[in-house]
Amino acid sequence: MRFTKLAVFGMGAVFAFGACSGAASPGASGGGGGGGIAIKIGIELPMTGGEAPNGVPTANGVQLAIQDIKVPGFTVTINQQDDAVNGKHNANQGAKNMSTLANDSQVVFVVGPYNSSVATAEIPVSNANGLMQCSPANTAVELTKPWGTAKPTDLRKTNPDKITYVRVATTDDNQGAGMADIAYNTIGAKTVYLLDDTQTYGKGLADAFGNTFTKFGGQVLKRDGVSDKTTDFTSYVTTAKGLNPAAVAYGGVTTSGLGLFRKQMAAQGLQTIPFVGGDGVVDGSFATASSFLQIAGDGDTNSYGTVAAIHDIPNAADFASKYKAKFNTDPGSYSAPGYACTQIFLQALKAVGTGVTDLGQLREKIRAYVADPANKYDTVLGTFNFDKDGDTSQHVISYYKYDPAKKDWGYFKQRDFTADPVK
Amino acid sequence: MTTAAAAPSRRTSFDAGRWRGPLIVAGFLLAAYALMVVSAGAQAQDQFINALTIGAIYALIALGYTMVYGIIELINFAHGEIFMVGSFVSWGLLTSLGFTGAINDPVVLAGVLVLAFIVSMVVMGVVGVVIERVAYRPLRNAPRLAPLITAIGVSFILQNIVFVTISNSIVTVPQVMPNTALTFGPIAIREINLFVIVLALSLMVALQAFVTRTTLGRAMRSTAMDREAAQLMGVDINSTIALTFFIGSALAGAAGVVQGLYFGVTHFQIGFQAGLKAFTAAVLGGIGNTTGAAIGGFVIGFIEVLTSSFGYGRWSDAAVFGTLVLVLIFRPTGILGQQLADRA
Repeated sequence: MRFTKLAVFGMGAVFAFGACSGAASPGASGGGGGGGIAIKIGIELPMTGGEAPNGVPTANGVQLAIQDIKVPGFTVTINQQDDAVNGKHNANQGAKNMSTLANDSQVVFVVGPYNSSVATAEIPVSNANGLMQCSPANTAVELTKPWGTAKPTDLRKTNPDKITYVRVATTDDNQGAGMADIAYNTIGAKTVYLLDDTQTYGKGLADAFGNTFTKFGGQVLKRDGVSDKTTDFTSYVTTAKGLNPAAVAYGGVTTSGLGLFRKQMAAQGLQTIPFVGGDGVVDGSFATASSFLQIAGDGDTNSYGTVAAIHDIPNAADFASKYKAKFNTDPGSYSAPGYACTQIFLQALKAVGTGVTDLGQLREKIRAYVADPANKYDTVLGTFNFDKDGDTSQHVISYYKYDPAKKDWGYFKQRDFTADPVK
Repeated sequence: MTTAAAAPSRRTSFDAGRWRGPLIVAGFLLAAYALMVVSAGAQAQDQFINALTIGAIYALIALGYTMVYGIIELINFAHGEIFMVGSFVSWGLLTSLGFTGAINDPVVLAGVLVLAFIVSMVVMGVVGVVIERVAYRPLRNAPRLAPLITAIGVSFILQNIVFVTISNSIVTVPQVMPNTALTFGPIAIREINLFVIVLALSLMVALQAFVTRTTLGRAMRSTAMDREAAQLMGVDINSTIALTFFIGSALAGAAGVVQGLYFGVTHFQIGFQAGLKAFTAAVLGGIGNTTGAAIGGFVIGFIEVLTSSFGYGRWSDAAVFGTLVLVLIFRPTGILGQQLADRA
């Protein structure tokens, strides 16, 4: 364990240093009066192990925005935290990181986390400290709105009326509806076998899928949950064989075994049954280490996934080329949302930061600005605002299908679920 | 270990004693199959094979727990990690030999399999002996708690070594066995499942024969029964205990190879979960008892598959550990423990 922490700390330090020197030089040449007040944006994402394909491209989006957009009077650097422990996202580590960020007086805004279960542990901390966080990727409904028996006020214990959490990704009721749309309308499946990984995100997503799929007129033949720690999915695959559904839908992520499940489906000759997952499986191409596609192997064919963010962003080519120029690779699914979160922060800083020298005051002013539903943001994702709960007004889900020619996910459609009766 | 000690007395008591065990096993299998027919219908046979296969893997790991406990009364928490490292050894071997998928030439396949098992078993056997020498032997006469803590320490060290030097996420292992189904009359079984089940059963039979029929086996049994008396009778205690660790770890190494062949993946943390299940199997069967460990492994395999087959997969772990609690309440020494301890 000690090795891990040391390595992460070292990486964070290098990151922060790199960002620091990168931001300082243009500030000096811009003649903004000696760089201005030094403040920090926190990044709280899973950066290592099986989660690297998720966290790294998202953090890159933040870096790119910090480099692109300057706010006069301020020098913005990054305080980077990693919530992956032993290569897997960890809620306790997330809460710890959030405390670290809250205790760093220069941190006035945080981008993250990536995983909903981590957000559940972090929101109480950010709420108690009045530190605004913007998640690029969280989709669990109960983080912002009541869902089942869970309420967001359970998380905002210290100040129930104070919003300290917003997200640019839309919620799982929409994402689950998107998955159901793929299953029922794209694939034409009337029956499914529905599974989840028994975690916050996976179970919520599968519930939402079930709701919409039944509304469409489809039938869930069987619903079950599989421990996220097992590697043996053979008995579930055999169940699928017996049910012979037109599709299998699974709420969960690659690290909780979805790739393995699909691989074992292929081993029992069931790769012809389409597989539908959420954004937990759209995590890179076959060549990406530990990605869904790499693990599932023969099961890649007929696999579908969603991303809880808009695909057709206004200047997609421009963003992609800027990203590629800096990082020498294509943007990930949540790079643009990471960029958008940062744009929101910088817009708030521009609006309320002038003349504020007290960092505690600045933190609260930024929080209040972002929490205000009246403010609209013009971002890389398009124009939107947050409602009173902190949810984006953009409810677009993007659909992906495995493309055998590229050995990667291929985008084929997006759907706006704003006021859509199916969900 | 006590199984073996009890074997001679079993021969003397004829009818009841001789047939009771096999009858109970047959009854259990029949009941399990009936439940599978109820829950899975036409897929009952497949589920039965799934259960036997995963049960065989648990049983192979459980044997090492129970052997070590039998001889030095230590719960070797590092044992699950031996299994994990074993899977990485076979991954390293297969990938460095350049294999990426199924090998269709049966001769080459047989050669590769033999090589993979021998290398992984020998390497893990040696690792087990080294761990015993470094972390347990110096503490053999210390209070019980001390070696338990070093065992947990060794477990983390092994995890960290793999984590830092190889990979901190899921690693895909080449599945060298072709994915073909064999049919024997009404029974259809995939080659890999048959291979795993037959291999595990053969290793168990071989172990049983070794423990009951050889001089070294007799030394192990006597050390397990009374270390000091065995020493007085001329048994070299240190090398006997080392041998126990070698065999137990080699079996876990074999299970590690099976993990890669069957599931096609490994991960530096699989040892914890598998170790916990196998430890449960050992306790369920009666810790210290090799036959019990094997039975316990299969029982857990069947419980897991049955819960999933009935559609209560999210209760699978609760069912496994709930069964353990029930068995321990009514039979504190496990399924076979009490009976054999009495006879011995």
